[in-house]
Order: sequence, then C-alpha cells, then structure tokens
Amino acid sequence: MTTPALEVIGLNKHFGGLPATKEVSFHVMPGERRLIIGPNGAGKTTIFNLVTGDLQPDSGSVKLFGQELLDLPTQARVHLGLARTYQILTLFPRETLIHNVVLALLGLKPLRWNPWTFLTGHNDIYAAAHAALAQVGLGESADRVVAETSYGERRRLELAMALAQKPKLLMLDEPLAGLSPGERQSVRGLLDQIPRDVTIIMIEHDMDTALDFAERITLLHYGQVIVEGTRAEVVADPRTREVYLGD
Amino acid sequence: MKRASIISLAIAAAALVAVPWIIGGDFYINMASQVLIYALFALSINLMLGYGGMVSLGHAAYLGVAGYTCILLVTAGYNQLTAAVIAVLFSTAFAGVFGVLSLRAPGLGFIMITLAIGQIVWGIAYRANDLTGGDNGMSFPARPMPFGFDIRDAKSFYYFTLIVFAIAFFFLWRFSRSPFGASLVGTKDQPRRMRMLGHNVWLIQLLTFVLAGFWGSVASILYVYYNLFLSPHALALQQSAEILLMAILGGATSLTGPIVGAAIITLIKNVISTYVERWNTLLGAIFVIAIIFMPYGLVPGCKQLWGWLQNRRKNRTLQHDAPSEPTA
Repeated sequence: MTTPALEVIGLNKHFGGLPATKEVSFHVMPGERRLIIGPNGAGKTTIFNLVTGDLQPDSGSVKLFGQELLDLPTQARVHLGLARTYQILTLFPRETLIHNVVLALLGLKPLRWNPWTFLTGHNDIYAAAHAALAQVGLGESADRVVAETSYGERRRLELAMALAQKPKLLMLDEPLAGLSPGERQSVRGLLDQIPRDVTIIMIEHDMDTALDFAERITLLHYGQVIVEGTRAEVVADPRTREVYLGD
Repeated sequence: MKRASIISLAIAAAALVAVPWIIGGDFYINMASQVLIYALFALSINLMLGYGGMVSLGHAAYLGVAGYTCILLVTAGYNQLTAAVIAVLFSTAFAGVFGVLSLRAPGLGFIMITLAIGQIVWGIAYRANDLTGGDNGMSFPARPMPFGFDIRDAKSFYYFTLIVFAIAFFFLWRFSRSPFGASLVGTKDQPRRMRMLGHNVWLIQLLTFVLAGFWGSVASILYVYYNLFLSPHALALQQSAEILLMAILGGATSLTGPIVGAAIITLIKNVISTYVERWNTLLGAIFVIAIIFMPYGLVPGCKQLWGWLQNRRKNRTLQHDAPSEPTA
C-alpha cells in the first residue's frame, strides 16, 4: 500500500474547556484533491494549524509521507514539503509582489543565512519568483507594492508564494474567499493547472466551485469527522444535508 | 546603487575625513569622535530595532562586559590587541546568552528581560568593588598603538574611530541588502508567515541579537579608549535608553537614521548643556516634536518631505508650462 501524503490520527485539541477537534482521523493519498467542508467553527482551520504547527495538539499524530510531524517546528515541516495559504491574507504589505515570492523561495535555501551578498544580485531567485508570479497571472505586476494591489491579486500572490516552494502537500484555506465570480473561475483554473505530484487539501465554502474540484470530501461538524467519501457519497449522505447544506 | 546615493555617500565620506580641518579645536574633534562611537552603538541596536522589531533596553550591558573585560586584561598585563579581541569575543558570547534568555518572551516580555539583564550587569559593576572598582570606576592605562600609530591626540584618535566606524558601516550596509537582512525584516512584519515559508524565526532573531552585541562591543572598546575610564554610570539604564532614542529619533527604518540621531543627541548633550542647564528637557522637547511631525524619524521624514517638495515643484512647472502648449 502506498504511504499516504498526509495521515492524521486521533487528533485532539481543546481551547480551554472547548473542544476544537475530537479524535479527528483521515488520510489523503498522494496526488489527491481533498476538500474539507463544515459549518463555521467546525474546526477546519484548527486542523490546518495543527498540521502546520501553528498550534500544538493535546494528543494524536500527524504524518507527512510517513514521517511524524508533531515533534517538529513549523519551519522544519515546510522543509519536508508542506505549504499553505491563509484564509486571512498573511502577506508582507509594504513589499513588492516579487519580494514576497523571493522571501518564500529564500525560506528553503541555505542562502537565507547569508548576511553579505546582495539579495538583488541573485538573478536565479528573481527568475524563479517571476516564473511563479507569471504562473498565477501576476507577471506584469511584479514590482508593485502589495498594499496597492487588489484583493484578488493578493489571493493570487498567496498562491504564487506557496507554489514557488514546489510543495508536496499544499493546504489551501479558503482560496476563493472574497473573490468575485469571475475571479473565482480564474483562480479555479489556476488550481486545475497544478501538477498531480502536488497533493492538495482545500477548505472552501463555495460549493459550486469547490465541489467539482475535489475527489474526496471530508465533512467536519463540532470538531468531528461526520462523513467522508467521494464527492457523490458525501453529497448524497443525509448527514451532510442535515449539518451543512441545510434542508 | 543609485547615482544620487553614491554622490551623497561620497560627500558624507569627504566631510567626515575633513572634520578635523573644518572645525579645529580638540574639544570639537573629540566630540566628533564621540558622535561616531555613539553612532556605532545606535547602528548596532538598530539591527534589532529597525530591522528585527526587537526593542532592547539593555544595550549598555555590552559596554560593561566588553569595557571592563578590556580594562581588566590590559591592567593585568595583556597586550592591547589580545585584550580587545578577547573582550569583544567574550562580550559577543555574552550576547548569545543574553539573546537566548530575552527571546524566551515576545514583545513586552522581551523588553523587560533586556532591561533586567542590563540592570544586572550594572548592579554587578556597581557592587563588585574588588573587580570593577565599584562606584569609583576603573581607569584604562593608555590607548593602544594600532600598527605603531600614536592615537593619543584628538585628531589621530578621531581618524582611528572613523576607520573602525567605516568598516562597521560597510558591513552593516551589506547586511541591510543581504538575504539575511531581508529575512530579518520579514520576521518583523510577519513572524508566523515567515515560519510557514521555512524560516527559523527564533534563530534569525538570535543571530541578529548576537550581531548587534558584537558591534555594540566594538563600540564599547572605542568608548573605553576614548574616555580612558569606565564606571557603572556609563552602563546605567539612561545609557541604554539614550542609544535606543538615537535610533528612533534618526529613523529606525533607515540605515543612516541612527547616525543622525546619535549626532543630534550627542551634540545636545555636550554642546547645549554648557549653555542650557535643563538640556534634558530640551532633548525631550526635541524628541517629542520630531516624533509628532516625523513619526518614522528624521531621516525617513526628511526624505518624505523632500519628495513632497519635488512633486510640488514639478506640478507647478507643469501648470506654468501648460498655457504655452499649443492647443488644438
């Protein structure tokens, strides 16, 4: 049997007395497109934060291609091939778009410790950063400052930064949030172009766009996995209608 | 590098070299040396403050550790170079411990730990009579003779300081444009995101702390050479706070800001204080006014003002030219 790209086993996290996730277990196979859905407060982003190391779980296990992640700091998990985007944009607003991507590229290179050379002299990094921006359709805007760009452009930049790192597992936290219908379609198109050697887990509320992207869907409710299966199975399941799609 | 900045750098360098001829008089040449020493202190603390967003109130601790070590070693009979090198290395290692302890806590906790450690060093200097001479301080036997040059008089000491300062500034300038410098600025703005991009935020901050400690220690050795004396007053909280204020007043986000801040505060302290008794009040007033009108400090503020004036002039020329344009 192939090792899953991500394996989450019995993950528990409490915020004070409030359980955010309860015995959450699921696994995602390499190359899979997985959608995680659930009402507000279901624990979707909490799971992302537990996988990336922004939060420490009370108990459980998270494995990336068979390797336990929980005893590693966030940056070490990133070096193993993990990348994520944030629901609430987390960018460097006073810097140019290209500089944002350069910081993403630097994160995986030993060059980031160099206090002596000129960063701008490293043409290979800037070329790679330009390529990542071009990939999301921001090639023309490389030298603009993030603070002067539109919300849709920033969403694309989030994606470019994650893709530039050539991750094995890409975690997208509501990549379509706040976008116009037209922009949604175009970001959706970008997601479709991501090669199959990248495994993708996505949290998304926009069912129309997200449903046909996902191969398998995990439904969370009150911190628990309620339903998991193929798109058709989950949509057909009565519990899905009950907790999420509404009557 | 842009042509304008090359020209301004050349002018600044020429001016610094010419200072002894321009001003004359040992009193003012000595003051120029002091400005350079404090500028190095301010530049070193600004690595943490301006680039890394770490506010330290314990920077004068290096003056204690490096300064007393150097004095003790020279007094014990070691040669000047060995004493200076060991003092700087020891003080830099101390910065490593200082950094590990301070970085246990973010934000306000960080400031309080740096304050506490600064005060501990001050307390030891004050209390350990046998080691440091306590409140009476310790005098330094004599300035060294680097490569056989005599730097006892004001002019040659100024040039000695200028050379050390220029080397430091060159390194710090390269640092500010380097990949590490860019990563450091990133950790100031978005530490969480930087982690998620693969950067080790803690290590970046610690290495910056140590680097700031290193240049702070170098400045401390210059301070001892200049004053030929060190007492606990030199490492009191007031000293740490003044160094911090220099960086903030001049503009922590710019490379040259701390130098300007150091020059202004040192001059007020030394020159104005001979005329005005309440020079501390004046310093406070200047600080408050500067921060009200230029919240990012004088250098970024003046740059902004200059850009605004340029724009206005350009617009006015455009308006003036407009009627002479042929109309369709």
